[in-house]
Amino acid sequence: MATDTEQLYQQRLTRYTTAMRNEKPDRIPIRPFVAEFIARYAGFTCQEVAHDYEKAFEATRKCAAEFDWDATVPNMVFVWTGLTQAISMKYYAIPGIHLPADRAFQYLEPPENSAWMSETDYDAFIEDPTGYLYNVWLPRVAEDVVPVGEPSTMRNNLSFVKGGMAMMQYFAGLDRQSGRLRTESGTVAAISGILKAPFDIIADKLRGYKGLCMDLFRQPDKVIAACEAIAPHLLHVATMTADPLRQVPVGLWMHRGCMPFLSPEQFEKFYWPTLKWILCGLHSRGIQTLFYAEGEWNPNLKYIAELPDLSIVYHVDRGDIEEVHRAVGHKFCLSGGIPNDVLAFGTPDDVRAVCKKVIDAVARDGGYIMDASAIMQDDTRPENLRAMTDFTREYGQY
Amino acid sequence: MNEAEKTSRPPGVAVPWEEKVKQLPPMTGDKELVERVWKETDSLGYLYIYFCLLAF
Repeated sequence: MATDTEQLYQQRLTRYTTAMRNEKPDRIPIRPFVAEFIARYAGFTCQEVAHDYEKAFEATRKCAAEFDWDATVPNMVFVWTGLTQAISMKYYAIPGIHLPADRAFQYLEPPENSAWMSETDYDAFIEDPTGYLYNVWLPRVAEDVVPVGEPSTMRNNLSFVKGGMAMMQYFAGLDRQSGRLRTESGTVAAISGILKAPFDIIADKLRGYKGLCMDLFRQPDKVIAACEAIAPHLLHVATMTADPLRQVPVGLWMHRGCMPFLSPEQFEKFYWPTLKWILCGLHSRGIQTLFYAEGEWNPNLKYIAELPDLSIVYHVDRGDIEEVHRAVGHKFCLSGGIPNDVLAFGTPDDVRAVCKKVIDAVARDGGYIMDASAIMQDDTRPENLRAMTDFTREYGQY
Repeated sequence: MNEAEKTSRPPGVAVPWEEKVKQLPPMTGDKELVERVWKETDSLGYLYIYFCLLAF
């Protein structure tokens, strides 16, 4: 039994990292990824936690302390909309501005005929991704940023000053938040760093999903070349932002690689080669990745099994977690698998039943971390998350 | 894909030192110091656009 907060932190860190090495800790680590749930629990609106990150930090610390979790994300309401307003980003619907204050922020998919990157821009992007992002993409997505060649404006200049300084302020705040989680409740910051799959970033922020789907048939070689062009940059940024101590993984949320967005054949051709290259590159640097497989990923398990042992922690959303365990449980720690609809609409008894089923099926030999299937928003009932936490603390003892 | 492959503007670089140094007069002091600090601050400009792309 830990007698002080730092001792508790070290005990939890050991528990968490032991599980991520696919070994058996003293008990199953509890690491919920909670986004707008924190607002509901702490009495804030979605607007407050999205637009005032100090309130999001405060709500996260309250949840971490009162639920007594082993690890959590310092701020899972990951987009600080105050910053996106400061640089006048067009692609968010913000609670309290574009949405009711009690709704979570939304990403706005661009119209097919006015994507942030046009279908004829591939060569420019492939030639120089960084130059393209500054010169073409940013003026299209940020209202105040003036396109290259047009007269500059005060608001253009201010966008970079405010954006840069606000970004540094936010990241410094996140560092402080990780420290406060450690010292106030002995909670481990569950992830570090920034990574997206090349295909996802082209879909999400450049071509839009519909536009990219058309490109898969009209100009497939350009899509592949674009993924290859951006991949070294994504590897570099993930490496630069990873935990310097190599204790916690880089978070990787994937949107478009699952069924039915891509068939397994399309996944193999377009999505997987560059993502696998990045994951192997991180592994060779001693960096583990939290492979957050949002949606149904089981048709792609044979590809994921190609990755080096322990290179990822495989998070299960809608896939059959027993099938995942049979396919890759000998290679990777698993997490998740507790359905969000049960957490939102079920009873505490329902939650305990699904937790028991998952633990019995995949966690008997260690290598499992308790969490919901997907990030918990404000529909998760506090009593159900309490049931998931308390049941795991008791039943998850080894 | 070979990790050593170079794009026209490699990862971590917004304005290459080779481009910047052409703007400077002949340096009288420690050229390596100037180069190192340029690269360090330039990398912040690089990270800014990728943070916008990936996180915001």
